[in-house]
Amino acid sequence: MYRLRNLLVATCSLAAVSAHAATEITYWLWDALQLPAYQAAAAAFEKANPDIKVKITQTAWGDYWTSLSTGFVSGTAPDVFVNHLSRYPEFVANDLLVDIAPMIKKDNVPTDIYLGGLYELWGKEGKQYGLPKDWDTIALIYNKEMLAKAGVDPKELENLTWNPQDGGTFGQLIAKLSIDEAGNNGLSPNFNPKKVKQYGLLVDGAPDGFGQVEWSHFAVSNGFKFHDGPWAEKFYYDNPKLAETFKWIVDQMNKGFIVPARDSRQLGANGFFAAGKGAMALTGSWMINWYLDNAKFEKGFAPLPVGPDGRKSMFNGLADSIWVGSKHQEEAWKWVKFLGSEEGQKIIADYGVVFPAIKSAAEQAQQVMSKKGADVSPFLQEATDPKVTFLFPIADHSADVLRATKVAIDAILLEGADPANTMKEVNEEVNALFE
Amino acid sequence: MPPPASLSPSSTTASGLRPARRRSGLLRSQAFCGVVFIAPALIGFTFFYLLPTIRAFYIGLTNWSLLRAPKWVGFDNYVRLFNDEKFWKAIWVTFLYVLYNIPIQTVLGLLIAVLLKQLTGSVLVRSVMLTPFLISNVIAAMIWFYMFDPVLGFVNVMLKAIGLGAHPFFSDPNLALPTIAFINIWRHMGYTALLFYTGLQSIPEHLYEAARIEGSSEWRTFRSITLPLLRPVLVFVLVTSVIGSFQIFDTIAVTTQGGPGTSTRTILWYIYQEGFVSMRMGYASAMSTVLFLGLVLVTLVQMRVLRSGESDLS
Amino acid sequence: MKKSSKRIPVGQWLGYAALLILAIISIGPLWIAVKTALSGPTAWLTSAGSLVPHETTLFNFQRVLGFVDSSDPRITQTGMAKINFFRALLNSVIFTVLAVAPQIFFSATAAYAFARLKFPGRDLLFFLFIAATMIPGAVLFIPNFILIKDLGWLNTFQGMAAPYALMTPFAVFYLRQVFLATPKDVEEAARIDGASYFSIFFKMILPMHSGALATLAILVTVGTWNEFFWPFLIGREENVRVIAVAINAFRTQQQAGSPDWTGLMACTVLGMIPMIALLVFFGRKVVESFQFSGGK
Repeated sequence: MYRLRNLLVATCSLAAVSAHAATEITYWLWDALQLPAYQAAAAAFEKANPDIKVKITQTAWGDYWTSLSTGFVSGTAPDVFVNHLSRYPEFVANDLLVDIAPMIKKDNVPTDIYLGGLYELWGKEGKQYGLPKDWDTIALIYNKEMLAKAGVDPKELENLTWNPQDGGTFGQLIAKLSIDEAGNNGLSPNFNPKKVKQYGLLVDGAPDGFGQVEWSHFAVSNGFKFHDGPWAEKFYYDNPKLAETFKWIVDQMNKGFIVPARDSRQLGANGFFAAGKGAMALTGSWMINWYLDNAKFEKGFAPLPVGPDGRKSMFNGLADSIWVGSKHQEEAWKWVKFLGSEEGQKIIADYGVVFPAIKSAAEQAQQVMSKKGADVSPFLQEATDPKVTFLFPIADHSADVLRATKVAIDAILLEGADPANTMKEVNEEVNALFE
Repeated sequence: MPPPASLSPSSTTASGLRPARRRSGLLRSQAFCGVVFIAPALIGFTFFYLLPTIRAFYIGLTNWSLLRAPKWVGFDNYVRLFNDEKFWKAIWVTFLYVLYNIPIQTVLGLLIAVLLKQLTGSVLVRSVMLTPFLISNVIAAMIWFYMFDPVLGFVNVMLKAIGLGAHPFFSDPNLALPTIAFINIWRHMGYTALLFYTGLQSIPEHLYEAARIEGSSEWRTFRSITLPLLRPVLVFVLVTSVIGSFQIFDTIAVTTQGGPGTSTRTILWYIYQEGFVSMRMGYASAMSTVLFLGLVLVTLVQMRVLRSGESDLS
Repeated sequence: MKKSSKRIPVGQWLGYAALLILAIISIGPLWIAVKTALSGPTAWLTSAGSLVPHETTLFNFQRVLGFVDSSDPRITQTGMAKINFFRALLNSVIFTVLAVAPQIFFSATAAYAFARLKFPGRDLLFFLFIAATMIPGAVLFIPNFILIKDLGWLNTFQGMAAPYALMTPFAVFYLRQVFLATPKDVEEAARIDGASYFSIFFKMILPMHSGALATLAILVTVGTWNEFFWPFLIGREENVRVIAVAINAFRTQQQAGSPDWTGLMACTVLGMIPMIALLVFFGRKVVESFQFSGGK
């Protein structure tokens, strides 16, 4: 009796002691859909490292960056956090990120297992600020039934062409797939743009200056480029090829083939699609699961159309960064290393919510997603083709660039402002930031 | 309030209190007690009102991201903001908002007050009118954001039912600001009405009697008796609501975040973005100092125009 | 438009009609929020125009208060955004008490000193306090934020309550008016008897003016409970954020395309209840508090 009780007490106190000895590191992410996957990864990590505990906090995108900034300012930022290419230059400029290059070298972490280009994105001048965790590309999602009704074979979608002058075969297709309340499609002269029941193409109504999902692929396939490369200090928003692209988009909106920006701002392209108000939508790979869960009809994915300069998709990759003010940098590095390893990424892949950066894990994720009812290979195809992918723009002052360009693009999409003049003006404003 | 009956001067312990023992002179001195009584409030005032106001001006003389030490730049920020068209656009948007908001709110408040006075001053009715003011700006904005939703909002569903079609109130650059003003009017009209109602109650009845005897029309009575005697309340309402409206933030944070475009980017929202999103505290502080001075000016002009110093009761 | 006369029934009818319409506009939206919060998470999509809840259920309230397990299958129907609104309500209570109770007390002591005691610089100081009412929050928030940050009080209750806890110019001004309006005789009698200023304050002033103090308490409590801007800057983290900040955070977490309206409305209803309850239980007192909040 006594022995049992002593044993119990001893075990409890041992457990208490080891619990106390565990270092807790905080980890922030924004995507609620990915939370269960990372909780599973944390559980596995904690099992392998019993003296480290990972506390995960999910803060929504809208609040994430401001909360992070407040954390930096007040000295209470998380040890590790999910970082994004649009913000990380400013953190680098303010010396907020730990350079993990020495740790990578010391631990012999393999850096060639990631999809092409991702690792280099997170480095600058020999320093490394994160290990790639996942990537995303843009593709089309389509409503199988609506295509069938219009007599369109889904295979056609793999070879569509586009140009800003007449829209190419892509333009023809979205016109064909637009149907008004009287039943006319967009190719008919009786089509009424004011009473559209089904849009040929759905696009989010509030794009920013990088237009990841909404317009960047059109513009870049037309010959536009944001700047000369990562960390460049000059943007080219005044390129007429960009203005052409916007002109085409606004045109299609006025014709009733693309949902007007005014209407899709709040509900979003995905909301319209799930409600059956559009035949196709532009989407990023991070939304795949949302569509699988919410669009309760047969759907498929197709690659983006081929523009004058070829098929292009923005290629973005997230990474986990360590805060310089972290008091547990060693433990933080272990967590980052785990998340950047094949073992960690396979756990994430199993949840099928995102494409991990390591190729084998990405393929595994693709399998998981396919089991849920959709062939997502177009995303992977685009990602592995270096001719298709172009990098998410990395530059200082990105928050300001985004804000200024968003205002300009709002004016173009909502108020009919002239694309050429508006973008020229905002380009001056943006480039002035770098002086 | 009359003192309780037991405290009559004739009882030996006149005030009903046990006579204090003779304490030291210090405790009896007004000056000492005064200082002690004031001290906490004085500390609060100094640290959260006086010093910050001065400091705001000083911070405006620096460039400061809060992540590193501040850098002295003298009057650069002040010069910069005068040339900043975004600053002036924000001032303009705010001014427009005040223009949409205050006149309607004041007139509606007055109307409701008159209705209350003439028809029914019941507590129930007054409570109902006050209710929107008791809920926070955020909650009010959230409810109306929902009501105005283009697809599922009650307002749009009703509009569609009567054939007017759904309107994306918050996505339309021309409608967003008036819609925000609408929410604010909705929230404040009852409260404003109650303030006016109190003012109306304090106007002596005999003045109205006299006017009636003279055969004055409703409108004339209102113009020559009611309005002038309401002036103190009117001044209070106008001055406080103008100052408050210039600083609108909550509603915008919840609904449009300054968009679409810049149509709802009011001055405080712009200052907030510059300070807390772009981490340019120095510039933000300079703008807020200028805003402060502007508000002082506006208030002084208002009080001058409304001749608030005079009372018309005589 | 400003018509309505006791003599003409038509005018009276119009007046009553106008009042009714305004009353409906004032309360109607609150009812829409309630009915939405009471509707089943998917049923309400088809009943957007209805005036009554469909599939009436308390599920939404349970969900936002954290009483439903996250593995409950009904959760996936409403999107993955999670909110611990119960915590937010608690935080609001703590914040409000912390900011209001000392504020009223210290404002009362200061008001008493301004109204009854003579000390050097009194009038100048009071003039400064009045001037402080004119200082807009817009100019104070940045320096105050930096002060709170330097004190290490970001994301703490004391950080949120600090600017309010010791005084607000309004409270001091209001109470001073009230104290000045009361005749001094009783207090002077007490002085003659040898009572100290402290005992006069605690045993006479406070009880005598309990009505006005209650009024001030109501005004300040409602204002503080509904605060957003300052707590938004200072208290973002879940363990301190008050209801207004929590509702805003909940909103930003919404997936575009399927906002969790029933959950949001449940939160707004919960956030409204305390203040509305105040109105329901203390109706006349609350109404009159606000009516006389302009002074005069």
